[in-house]
Amino acid sequence: MKIPKKITAVGLLIVSLLSLAVFARAGAVSSSLSDQQIQNIRENCLSTKTTLNQLHASDALLRVNRGQIYESMSIKLMTKFNDRVASNNQDNSSLVDITSKYNSTLDSFRNHYMAYESHLSAAISIDCSKQPVSFYDAVSVASSDREKVHSDIVKLNQSVDQYKAAVDEFEKKFLAEPKEAGQ
Amino acid sequence: MEAKKAIGTNEERTFRDKHSFMMFITGSIVISACIVVIGMAMYNSSGAAQLDLSRPGYVSVRSQAASGESDFQSYSSVGTLDKKAIEDFKKLYDKQTQKLKTVDAFGGSPLSPESLGVENPLAP
Repeated sequence: MKIPKKITAVGLLIVSLLSLAVFARAGAVSSSLSDQQIQNIRENCLSTKTTLNQLHASDALLRVNRGQIYESMSIKLMTKFNDRVASNNQDNSSLVDITSKYNSTLDSFRNHYMAYESHLSAAISIDCSKQPVSFYDAVSVASSDREKVHSDIVKLNQSVDQYKAAVDEFEKKFLAEPKEAGQ
Repeated sequence: MEAKKAIGTNEERTFRDKHSFMMFITGSIVISACIVVIGMAMYNSSGAAQLDLSRPGYVSVRSQAASGESDFQSYSSVGTLDKKAIEDFKKLYDKQTQKLKTVDAFGGSPLSPESLGVENPLAP
């Protein structure tokens, strides 16, 4: 069965128009910037780019230095202490649970940082004087990703505190054990 | 027919003989390009790119990166467990915890519209 060329052409035209309408609507929904705000973005373009580049570099440094400490906390301290407790035939289940939660948050931190860095790099590569709305949208996405990274940091610090509390609890029980046995 | 085939084979051989070096170089370049593309894809997807401060743009902060973990002492996973062993662990742990809490990492809102000189679009 052959489809006439005219019908094919009209079909393609309709599909193209529909796609254009959908993309135009998506673009309009993504940002509701006023003319003044667009003007502000254009005027501050150079200084904003400089700020973003500095933030990009300082966050990368933070990621490297903090990442090393967070990973070492797990590998060199938590896991090692859990193993020592287990090798001395003591119950380490609460410590293992917190370590497991900590490691899963650490994975989220790595993934969220990757997404954040990728979106911030994309925002930096947009010419804000020519495409202010796209630039604003890209920065908004990066900002949302950065909040997720910060949330992971807060969770990691909470897990660090929880682990310390669990160690204190373990110590209390462990030191009480011989006395109980002696009674 | 056989004579034509023989001529064709001779022509092919002649072509290969003439351009063998060029074909070798081209093949090597194509293989190298493929390996580079695969390597770059792995470099980006693994997250190594985000930790690589030797990339352009990180010159200003490169020197501030922790060069090693010499001051991060590892705890031994073997040995007896007594009060001293637990106290030693707590000492190591507290030392690193203090480092983590010195700065509110990734805090603040440096990417907010206000920080970047653009007003909040939702504001009246």
